[in-house]
Amino acid sequence: MNLSPDSAPFVAENVTKSYPGHLALDALNLEIPAGHVVGLLGRNGAGKTTLIHLAAGLTLPSTGTCRTFGTPTARLDSPELGRLGLVQQESRFIEWMTVRQHLDFTASFYANWDRDLQHRLTEALELPVDRKLAVLSAGDRQKVGILLGVCHRPAFLLLDEPMSSLDPIARTDMLDFLLERLRDDGCTVLISSHLLTDVEKIVDWVVFLKAGRLVENSSFDALQESFAEWTVTAPEGGLPAAFAEPYVLSSQGQDRLARLNVRTRDPAAIERFARAHRAEVKARPLSLDEMFPLLTIPGRDPS
Amino acid sequence: MPPLLVIDYHNGVPAYRQLMDQIKFQVAAGMLSVGTEMASTRALSAELSLNPMTISKAYSLLEREGVLERRRGQTLVIRAATTADRETNKLNPLRQHLAAAAVMARQLGISRVQALRLFRETLNSPPP
Repeated sequence: MNLSPDSAPFVAENVTKSYPGHLALDALNLEIPAGHVVGLLGRNGAGKTTLIHLAAGLTLPSTGTCRTFGTPTARLDSPELGRLGLVQQESRFIEWMTVRQHLDFTASFYANWDRDLQHRLTEALELPVDRKLAVLSAGDRQKVGILLGVCHRPAFLLLDEPMSSLDPIARTDMLDFLLERLRDDGCTVLISSHLLTDVEKIVDWVVFLKAGRLVENSSFDALQESFAEWTVTAPEGGLPAAFAEPYVLSSQGQDRLARLNVRTRDPAAIERFARAHRAEVKARPLSLDEMFPLLTIPGRDPS
Repeated sequence: MPPLLVIDYHNGVPAYRQLMDQIKFQVAAGMLSVGTEMASTRALSAELSLNPMTISKAYSLLEREGVLERRRGQTLVIRAATTADRETNKLNPLRQHLAAAAVMARQLGISRVQALRLFRETLNSPPP
């Protein structure tokens, strides 16, 4: 996908972010494609939250340039910030306010706050609007954080583990709501989450970070179509202990039966492999949960 | 409006593929007849809780393959297929299943004669 920087709501050019004794992001080049739901994936400490903070202008890169809506993030101002929505895993609130007071307070900063949307979400998420933030459960606090981040109908929505404290029903509501925003506003969503079975329902693009480096940046369909698990059976035996094919990411098994994780877009690979090893191969596609550990395997570029 | 489309999010098959396969199957099996209007991208996205991009991808690929065609502006309808295409569309899903069955037969060392006899018996067996 080729996008001019103008149409990408966020662009990072050779961005490094370091904290004392810790390199959070390392020479990152990335464009978030407009109108997509981008899953930001990686293990703890991979740099996901740092990237979201950079996009929101909460922190600035140590070197390199970050642009949000085409503006260097050091110069972000009301026109851009008003089109940006940020939901953090643990939002900071004014604790003595009730939910209703806080919503009114935050609404007052935005010209285009959508009251109808606020009421609909408050009801759908069953928020106790007359209770003080200080006494809310973790789940309800997360719901308030979501409302505060989305009711001005941002064009670019940054979600950092937005559902970690929500129960399954609230998570489903949340995903449906995100899809509604896509349909109504055509917004771009960057969502980090460890809840992969939730994420894979809505993402169409995947960005994968490993130890501060970008290791994957591709459409979700392409990922799903390239990874597979092969069950290999050789009636006459003779399967090797390790397979030399460059697209084999991992394997286990013995002489007559092996299970392989592979990554290839070549539809003829399976037939060639079967012939070469005099074996039967049964392929099964992988879910995001199963792909996740394979994305962390270093040193292979089997494209 | 397709009668019933179900997406399994965790089986690893991209959702657009699942949509395409199910629509093609329903056309081949006569559950979706020629001229039937498809739900709009928007409506189907809401109904299946799917990313609208996924649905427009499936629809445009089906259009390219000649399963759907655009009528009266934006409406997508099931396109009339040639007899040959209809035949292929019917046989393809079965061929895929049989290919998997053939692998299994070889793995288990079942002879051709045995396998064919089994398929014939299965075809003839009354529904349970």
